Amino acid sequence: MEAVSDSELVISLQAGSLEALGVLYDRHRRLVFRTALAITGDADAAADLLHDVFLRLFRFAAHIDSHRPLEPWLYRMTTNLSYTWVKRRQRWLRPLEDVADWLASTRKDTPSYQAEMDDSWRQVQQAISSLPLSHRGVVVLYYVDDLSLQEISEILDIPVGTVKSRLHYGRQALKQSLGLLAGEILPDLQYEFT
Amino acid sequence: MDKKSDAILRKTLKNWVNRQHPPENGRARLLWEAAHTSRSKVDMSVLLFRPSHKTYPLSSTNDWPQTLFTWINENSLQFGIQARLG
Repeated sequence: MEAVSDSELVISLQAGSLEALGVLYDRHRRLVFRTALAITGDADAAADLLHDVFLRLFRFAAHIDSHRPLEPWLYRMTTNLSYTWVKRRQRWLRPLEDVADWLASTRKDTPSYQAEMDDSWRQVQQAISSLPLSHRGVVVLYYVDDLSLQEISEILDIPVGTVKSRLHYGRQALKQSLGLLAGEILPDLQYEFT
Repeated sequence: MDKKSDAILRKTLKNWVNRQHPPENGRARLLWEAAHTSRSKVDMSVLLFRPSHKTYPLSSTNDWPQTLFTWINENSLQFGIQARLG
């Protein structure tokens, strides 16, 4: 069933196929998870949002046009649910110390190296979190998901000019926060991910 | 736009999110919940309050407590709700 197209899987999903849901989940879960993670900065929230997005895909399959690509729908749903999560969280003013807990729960090599790395990743997390939510979404879709300006415009339902503007300000703010403008960023953060 | 710093920014953000992975049990949890989720349209109209529109004769202004009592009883019984008066 791996070679079956998204379009065919959506049609199966509309007929209630759990197998189709499983295949779509395996195929697109990283896309949804990384987008939710980048916007929320919270791995637990990203896991919950991943679950929620695919459950909604199953429940509302009848309303999805099987002739259109599925990925924009997934991006849109993920972004909207992530925005909602962040807005709710902001109401409760969660302290940034929780982000440190999230970073501290990751793999460790040596304590001193990891302490340094955690500080660096926390810097990235804080830089992203300091962006206005609307800028954050554009930056994540552009840099993390490699989407074009036109694709982001369609997913977020905003004009391309607005995408460009938000990307410009988001980029400048991030580069400033991360010291990229002065070339200060730690080389460890730039390693080639395999 | 500074292409070099842009490329570094892209790589940094990708490395940042790639440090975390989706939960291992996510698929099983999803399928279990989906299997227990009814997608059929549930007729919610049964939950709506639809009082019957029959008229209650008011022979005099003194009859309104009896009329109200009758109306509450008839409509609450219709929806299985116990009316407690007074």
